[in-house]
Amino acid sequence: MTRYLRLVRVFTGASVSAQLEYRANFFGAVLASLGEAGVALLGISILFGQPGATSVGGWTFREALLVTGFFMLTEGFISVVVQPNMSRISEAIRTGNMDFTLLKPIDAQFNVSVRYLNLLRFPDVLLGLGLLLYASAGLPVTLAGVLSAATLYLSSLVIVYCIWLGLSTTAFWLVKTQNVSELFNGVFGAARFPVTAFPVPVRVVLTFVVPVAFITTVPAQALVGSLTPALALASPVVAAALFWVTRRFWLYAVASYTSASS
Amino acid sequence: MTWAWRRLRVLFSTQFALMAEYRAEVIIWMLSGTLSLVMMLVWMAQAAAAPGGQVRGYSPAEFATYFLATWLVSQLMVVWVAHELDPAIRQGQLSPWLLRPLDPFWSYFIGHVAERFVRLPALLALVALFAWLAGAQFTREWWVYPAVVGLAALGFTVRFLWEYLIGLLAFWTDSSTSFQELVWLLYAALGGMFAPLAFYPEWVQRVAVWTPFPYMLGLPAQLLSGKATAEQAGQGAAVLLGWGVIFVLLRLWVWRAGLRRYGAVGA
Repeated sequence: MTRYLRLVRVFTGASVSAQLEYRANFFGAVLASLGEAGVALLGISILFGQPGATSVGGWTFREALLVTGFFMLTEGFISVVVQPNMSRISEAIRTGNMDFTLLKPIDAQFNVSVRYLNLLRFPDVLLGLGLLLYASAGLPVTLAGVLSAATLYLSSLVIVYCIWLGLSTTAFWLVKTQNVSELFNGVFGAARFPVTAFPVPVRVVLTFVVPVAFITTVPAQALVGSLTPALALASPVVAAALFWVTRRFWLYAVASYTSASS
Repeated sequence: MTWAWRRLRVLFSTQFALMAEYRAEVIIWMLSGTLSLVMMLVWMAQAAAAPGGQVRGYSPAEFATYFLATWLVSQLMVVWVAHELDPAIRQGQLSPWLLRPLDPFWSYFIGHVAERFVRLPALLALVALFAWLAGAQFTREWWVYPAVVGLAALGFTVRFLWEYLIGLLAFWTDSSTSFQELVWLLYAALGGMFAPLAFYPEWVQRVAVWTPFPYMLGLPAQLLSGKATAEQAGQGAAVLLGWGVIFVLLRLWVWRAGLRRYGAVGA
């Protein structure tokens, strides 16, 4: 365990020094983060800016901002940790570099998941946290709410990671998976609004088919204390089940991997 | 004239063949541009929950019409040229292009146009399916359709030109993707991808009418919903033409200045 923690530190250090070479990029990345935050906020504020609009799907403005905050936080997590690593999987399979990863004396799934960090997009995470702080400052938030939201948000991150890993693992057979992740981004865009803001049939899809609802709506519900015990339990169960399934899938894919040249 | 025509035909047929290779991807790319569809669902639910079943005079079906029309038009305006120019300039792949007796601008432009024709059949089928599911109804006025095609063609040209300009920034800087994201934000927001422009705060509307954005997405969508007049379409086309001329001149100037700076890799 300590060995893996040490490896995370080494990988982070390597990513940082590789990226510090391109200093001009940092300025651009900050602009991009602010832009994304702008998009997220604009969508929600126009909805509430209409005469007579006091709630969206039963959520007040501040409460809906919590959902936006979790959305931005998750976007940050994806661009810092998930996307840089997962997009390299299909490339490694195509070129045969995956062989080196599989030969190393550490768990290959761990290696492909945390090797590269795009710290340039870390401002996304900070903006998300800032928005969460701002939104909850005007709401009656309890310590129990914060703790349960934090726990449930961990499930969210596991869910996001598992969906991406599952999609990227298909690269062992399909080779090209970049488009599949585009599709994930498209669906994930729905997470910027509380799931109750959608018509009922769509809500069902966003909860049970693609579990987008668990990623942002559920932690926000925990924070405002409107979470039902059933959903509170469902989120970690979904996360654990997804993790188990994707782990099996990954091991199966690696076992049937025949390298690039054979 | 025949000289130009022959080049155009050859360029178009080769680029069409190239784009047709990506037909499966094109459908995935289409489905991943979901912002206007997400906004459509949210606004439909908002209108259904509002007293009177309307928000600012829009019923759920009218929201469906507006946002599906925005989606349709935005799909015709997808441009990725900055992503191709950036590595071409940085890695020196531009050099062989410069030896040809034709500005590389035209190959990229025709390539994008050809891709529209690959995209169109699936796009129309998807719009018809979504319209049936969401209960959207497009206008029956016949003149609207040629007007929308004209505005979309103008809008696409304007967007292509500014994306090309951003791509040309690679001559000087090494991160044009963030500019691209920022301009996209302006285009999506002021174009009316989040809501019809009338829903925005008034000062935003007053700024927006001077930009090309509202006439690229919102105006065609309003036309298709039967909520805009021929006169407004004409004004929109005039503004787009004006911006088109500005961008064409800027493009020529930046291209020349960039070429003077361009050293190519290893040259």
